[in-house]
Amino acid sequence: MAIDQQKALLFGAAAAVRLLLFTAFPSLPNLLTGRVEISTPVTSFKRLQEGVFLYTHNVSPYDGGLYHQAPLLLPLFSLLPNPAYHPFATNVLYTIVDLLGANALMQIAETGQTVSSRLFTSPRKDLRWSSLAIGASFLFNPFTIATCIARPTSALTNLFVLIAMAKASQGASITFILALSFASYLSMHPILLFPPLLLLCYNMRVTKARTPPNPWAYTLSHVGGLALALVALLYTSALLTGSWEFLAATYGVRLLLPDLTPNVGLWWYFFTEMFDSFREFFLGVFWLHAASYVPGLTIRLRKQPLFVAITLTGIFAVFQPYPSIADATLYLSLVPLLRHLFPLMRYTFLASSAILYTSFLGPAFYYLWIYAGSGNANFFYAITLVWSLGLSIIIGDSLFAALRDELDVERPELRGKEVRRI
Amino acid sequence: MSSVRDANASSNTKPAANDSHSPPPIIKAAIAKKQPPPETSESVWTRRWVIFSFWAVAIFLGLPVWWKATAIYRAELPLQTMTDWADGKICKPVFPLRIAVEAPALPLQDAQHLVRTTQHALDDLNEFSAHHLRLMLAAAPFANASQETVGTTNDNTIEPFRVPRDKDIALSIRMLPVESGSTPRSELQQYSPALDVYYTPNQIPPPSSTSSPLATFIANELHKVFAEEQATLAHLLSTTSTAHVSKIKSLSPEFSAELERQSTRAFKYAPTYHLTFSLFSPTSVPSDWEIESALQQYLTPLLESFSSISNFTVDTQVQLYATFSPSMRQPEFDAELNAWTLRKEDLSGFINAAEWPLSPSIGIGPTINFVLYVPDPSQSPLLVKENGGNSWLVPQWGGVRILNPTVSGGAPSTPAKLDKEALASAMHTFSDQLFSLLGVPQTPASLPLRLTTLTRVRAASLVFSASSTLSALARLYKALPSIPIPDTVAKSVDLTTAHLQLACNDLREGRFQGALENARVAEAEAEKAFFERSMVGQVYFPDEHKVAVYLPLLGPVAVPLVMAALKELKSFLVWIKRRE
Repeated sequence: MAIDQQKALLFGAAAAVRLLLFTAFPSLPNLLTGRVEISTPVTSFKRLQEGVFLYTHNVSPYDGGLYHQAPLLLPLFSLLPNPAYHPFATNVLYTIVDLLGANALMQIAETGQTVSSRLFTSPRKDLRWSSLAIGASFLFNPFTIATCIARPTSALTNLFVLIAMAKASQGASITFILALSFASYLSMHPILLFPPLLLLCYNMRVTKARTPPNPWAYTLSHVGGLALALVALLYTSALLTGSWEFLAATYGVRLLLPDLTPNVGLWWYFFTEMFDSFREFFLGVFWLHAASYVPGLTIRLRKQPLFVAITLTGIFAVFQPYPSIADATLYLSLVPLLRHLFPLMRYTFLASSAILYTSFLGPAFYYLWIYAGSGNANFFYAITLVWSLGLSIIIGDSLFAALRDELDVERPELRGKEVRRI
Repeated sequence: MSSVRDANASSNTKPAANDSHSPPPIIKAAIAKKQPPPETSESVWTRRWVIFSFWAVAIFLGLPVWWKATAIYRAELPLQTMTDWADGKICKPVFPLRIAVEAPALPLQDAQHLVRTTQHALDDLNEFSAHHLRLMLAAAPFANASQETVGTTNDNTIEPFRVPRDKDIALSIRMLPVESGSTPRSELQQYSPALDVYYTPNQIPPPSSTSSPLATFIANELHKVFAEEQATLAHLLSTTSTAHVSKIKSLSPEFSAELERQSTRAFKYAPTYHLTFSLFSPTSVPSDWEIESALQQYLTPLLESFSSISNFTVDTQVQLYATFSPSMRQPEFDAELNAWTLRKEDLSGFINAAEWPLSPSIGIGPTINFVLYVPDPSQSPLLVKENGGNSWLVPQWGGVRILNPTVSGGAPSTPAKLDKEALASAMHTFSDQLFSLLGVPQTPASLPLRLTTLTRVRAASLVFSASSTLSALARLYKALPSIPIPDTVAKSVDLTTAHLQLACNDLREGRFQGALENARVAEAEAEKAFFERSMVGQVYFPDEHKVAVYLPLLGPVAVPLVMAALKELKSFLVWIKRRE
């Protein structure tokens, strides 16, 4: 009961902070919407409004070449009153999205899958934060709040990814598949989370059920379910827009990167400098690079599938074509689940100072480049490199810690001793 | 991160044994003794699977992407045909000119005989076989339609004879019997392609003779009329294509140099030229000129007569307070001429390119500039020192004319407005300069003949230029195997060869206007193919540079992959050996 009260208090406070920011600073949402760090061409709320406008005027939303988001968002947002005049409904929607995300995150924390799964139990399994603390770290993370106020559609992707993780760690197959298919439908790359989450879901199923299901049949049925859900979503979209052109405008844009608007990722600068004849090849290389972590990590850390999924969200926050701080938020809010690994991590200070440093210098350098004209693109790109470096340090360090953690189980006599790679 | 995957423990307790600096030999020995415990087979297989998964992505996805994304698309080009065009193997341009002989006063047999003997005489005179004058008897306006003509070998040439002023007839000879004056004599019409030949009836050759003074005379006159055209074409053939050199027998070096000079002076052929007429004055007057009506009266008829070859757009401007460029030597007063003079070598600096707004090109097509300069009254009259002239031509750029103000009441004064009469002389100068700049030949006196000559010369030069562009493209195709050739280039090449063939056929059949139009299309397409933008992207991109593209990114990724694979391979070989 006390927990429920605290949870209500936490959610109430978080909702109040958001709604207060929305109403007390009416210009803040538009300011943040225009920031390249939060709004990318594929998630921007402004572009969504453009698409909704075209959609409500019976013009194909993809005709203008500005809208690159999923078609099913259009009926949802066209139901809401126009955010330019009556922003309250939209604000409430995004607040609810955040609260639901926090709820899903707390569900993940309550299952404790990060510290002890079916095949692996960390020796430091008692070292974990309460689900309330983890929910609070998500809800009061300044990045999360900024994302919520800037209203990019990646907030929805984050929500569905969190729900998919929560449902997978509860072993709820159908909701897991539905949530993951929504996330993939909105942003494409979450589909790569399927292998580790499937493993997680299978683990839960095995622990719960008396007779463990046949792994092959289980995999096949889930792959089929995911494919079915995705096909249904895509087919509905095609019915809604009247043609299949949305595929090229949404997923095509993510794959081929035609819009080189600066963002916090590594792709835009690289592809502005790229020779045209090598562009396609390096698009392939970059995508394969991001995707190649999935099988390797899943195989190596197959005993800790949730950890793999968390790490993959971090990798996507660094290596996807249009990342924003919304993607980093997702990873950073999942990292507190790895509290038991913190003692084993070696570069926490370096990583956190790099993240803080770039959070302040990034906007400043962007201002110097775009508005003041006293800097150039390299200023901003250097900062985004450091930002990616900071995230990569956290990813690499947590990976190291997880491996060390496994080693401690395998060879308990080495606990607390220095390790060395050979 | 991949390095962390392979993390393993060594049970050494010595703090000195970390990675950053190598331990002293004693400690090294200690480490060597303390071997890490053997790996469990599970972890070995995990590692193998991880390495395999990375390699699988690289090989099964990476390699196809690499193959697909870096393949260079090269459309097929008809290389042999393209080279053959440039070598003149496909088309040997010939210029059969039809010359109609109108002899209404002569009986048919006599006229036929005259034409036949004149043709013989003409053939004897001709040294340049590609340029061939063919005489034919034209139907007199009111003559019987059943009249047969000489030189008609196929049916389709009969039709034009009923229409005396056919476009494909290069020249008409009108045989006019006269009783007085010296005969035979000839007169070339200035504004129509016609040569009047006056003869006395007794000069008509008798049917038995094979030659006659009248026939020789006509042949000589014709040869004279077309001498410059022949020379120009011969010159063109000799300079642009090696295959034709043997045909030209006599082309004096002086004449050749003169033709060279004319052709360097003239603009390259363009379907549209832009004419800019500018009035420059160092003072505030004249601030107005009746240029529109002057152009209407003096230039428009000329431009209209040109319309079959090129089109023109015209604009005008007035610039006041236009100063000479500071680097130019200022005009000097010459007491002998009682005039201010410009030295001939300074004329090239007369145009103040930095300050006078004479843009190099407006829109499509080259711009021809005509500058009318009205000097300051205190510096007039302004003349060229060496020859006292007041106009000159700037090769491939335009013409300049100095309009000295009229002297009225002792002191020269510049009118505020230049009227049409004041501009008349300048307009005549500009017309002459325009002709030179467009490459119109100097002779013969008949303007239509000069224009048709220009049509033939331009058609021939366009055919040569398009052919040589084709062969250049073919050489480029062979020399640079790494450049992509898009389909548009292949299409342009096909269009070029098709239109070249049409132009060649037109030339052979004497349809010079059609030949010019086809050659124009061929040239435009050939240029489009050669200057295709997407082809040159990788011209200066040798294979070595690819290392610089691939290595910085793929190198660091590849090293751990390759090293891990090698290590696994080695342990696999050891395992095989042990089994044996």
